[in-house]
Amino acid sequence: MSDIIKQKLWSVLTYNTSPAEADWLRQKGSSNPLELMTAFVAVPRFVPKKIITNSPELKWELNAEFPGFSVENWSLVRLSRVWLLTQLDPSDKSEYIKNIETLFDTAEMNELVALYSALPLLSYPDQWLFRATDAVRSNMGYVFDSIALHNPYPEKHFSELAWNQMVLKTIFNDKPVHLIEGLENRSNEKLALTLSDFAHERWAAGRSVPPQVWRLTGKYLNPALLADMQHLFESENEEDRKAAALACNESTLTSAHYLLAKYTDLEKSVKSGELTWAELEH
Amino acid sequence: MCLNPNETSPNPSHFEDSEETMAAPAHRDIAWNDYKDLIKGMRFFDPHIHMVSRTTDDYQAMRQAGIVALIEPAFWVGQPRTGLSSFKDYYSSLVGWERFRSSQFGIKHYCTMGLNSREANNESLAEQVMEVLPLYIYKEGVVGVGEIGFDDQTPAEEKYYRLQLELAKEAKLPVQIHTPHRDKKKGTERSMAIALEHGIDPSWVIVDHNNEETVKSVLDQGFWAAFTIYPFTKMGNERMVKVVEQYGPERIMVNSAADWGISDPLAIPKTAALMKMRGISDETIRLVTYQNAIDAFGKSGQIDVTDFEGDLKIDQTEKFHGNSILRGGQQPEPARDSLVIQ
Repeated sequence: MSDIIKQKLWSVLTYNTSPAEADWLRQKGSSNPLELMTAFVAVPRFVPKKIITNSPELKWELNAEFPGFSVENWSLVRLSRVWLLTQLDPSDKSEYIKNIETLFDTAEMNELVALYSALPLLSYPDQWLFRATDAVRSNMGYVFDSIALHNPYPEKHFSELAWNQMVLKTIFNDKPVHLIEGLENRSNEKLALTLSDFAHERWAAGRSVPPQVWRLTGKYLNPALLADMQHLFESENEEDRKAAALACNESTLTSAHYLLAKYTDLEKSVKSGELTWAELEH
Repeated sequence: MCLNPNETSPNPSHFEDSEETMAAPAHRDIAWNDYKDLIKGMRFFDPHIHMVSRTTDDYQAMRQAGIVALIEPAFWVGQPRTGLSSFKDYYSSLVGWERFRSSQFGIKHYCTMGLNSREANNESLAEQVMEVLPLYIYKEGVVGVGEIGFDDQTPAEEKYYRLQLELAKEAKLPVQIHTPHRDKKKGTERSMAIALEHGIDPSWVIVDHNNEETVKSVLDQGFWAAFTIYPFTKMGNERMVKVVEQYGPERIMVNSAADWGISDPLAIPKTAALMKMRGISDETIRLVTYQNAIDAFGKSGQIDVTDFEGDLKIDQTEKFHGNSILRGGQQPEPARDSLVIQ
């Protein structure tokens, strides 16, 4: 991990802490691993529980340095913990891994959130794959969110199987998929086909699927998915119809474009760029 | 623990054994609908309840009855644990999954951490537990060391009780003392004497499971006196009303200690309603069912009342996770009286 990231995080921290709180963090950040780990746990006893504010410049610099990584809406406790983790000395690999694993093993919910938020910044990124997929398995909403949403780690390190599992679970839990980093980059045919099965189950149960999830299918439309598009075009929900138009427009199948052409108003707004997925992001 | 194969009494609670005969409940048919108006708008804090043994129905009923926050003490889970990992997972669940589960029902969840007296008797395991305990007592939302104290009053129990008193002192945490069922009066006196011997300020110690026989000495020596309202075998809430009438609200608190036995997670709201019916003032009710527990365990510095005194509908912990879309999600309320499950 680059030193620049550490510095940027520190800048955000000092922007949000009193001098005494910053001193405490600085001192703990340079102490031995055990003291640093204890400080990681004890952070809420020394810094206030509040949501951080960030200057637009810092926000921009952080994103330029590490695309996809964001501290937006973090609590000061979470940011302090993540910064402390970046101060852990990685030079002795087995010692470093053991220390992080201990923190995971004994973590409470907010500590888990901080640990998973820090994954993109930790050394030996492949080491944390199992932990990361464990967060996807978590039923604690906050823990799941900390790996799935606004976190660049899965895009970089998850296998296709793990990735698809994470995206499906996000959809299954009715969370907004557009907050997943790398959603476009990691789209794949298997996911698109599974999504069709999932939608059928929901429809059979008299439930619906959030319209924006169809953004995962456009490039992979096949006859089965085309039938789903037909179903969406016939939906009473306007957003379903918009999703179908957007997905068909992204397809290379001529039959998809024929289908879209039947709905002239939708075709017009999608071709003109007036209608985009952004309209369905909620 | 049940050593007699002919024993037929129901599940004992974690703080009792099954020797006591079950008293037939006196007739008291006051339905929830009749008393819920009496406590309308009241907020309750249950400083002792074992939610890992309770269902989501309980969480919903508790929230509906006005319970906004609770403390879950680390305890004996009904059968002895055989390894350190079981302890670790249990402790983690108190600050992890159970805390999350509670938040979904809009109830703020705190806990106390400790090695319970029964399992202190497994010395080789107790030794290992003591090694990991410091990792847990500094966690956010840990408001004390507990529940610790005596069960059989063995030397091993005393040893780990003393060690944990020192731990509490070092971490500047209150102590939640479980008093024994058998030989209760002596056990309670002994627990208090040892705490004082370790130089612990009695205003940092909550002595739990009191009854009419123990309360005077506990209060006289400056400790907090907690009462467990537990059906059939322990304090009934009518007796509780009398205790409050006699001693007033100072340093007295009520809890349910609801667990896997036949217990009542609504013990506090029910007791509050009964106090109201018997003419006890609203302020006294507020002290013994809410404020005193906050004052005692708040010495940990871990209780921020704005977390549960705001809008009752919103789980205030969520604000620390930022974006409101990313909430862990409140559990929807199913229509319980409907035959159709949707």
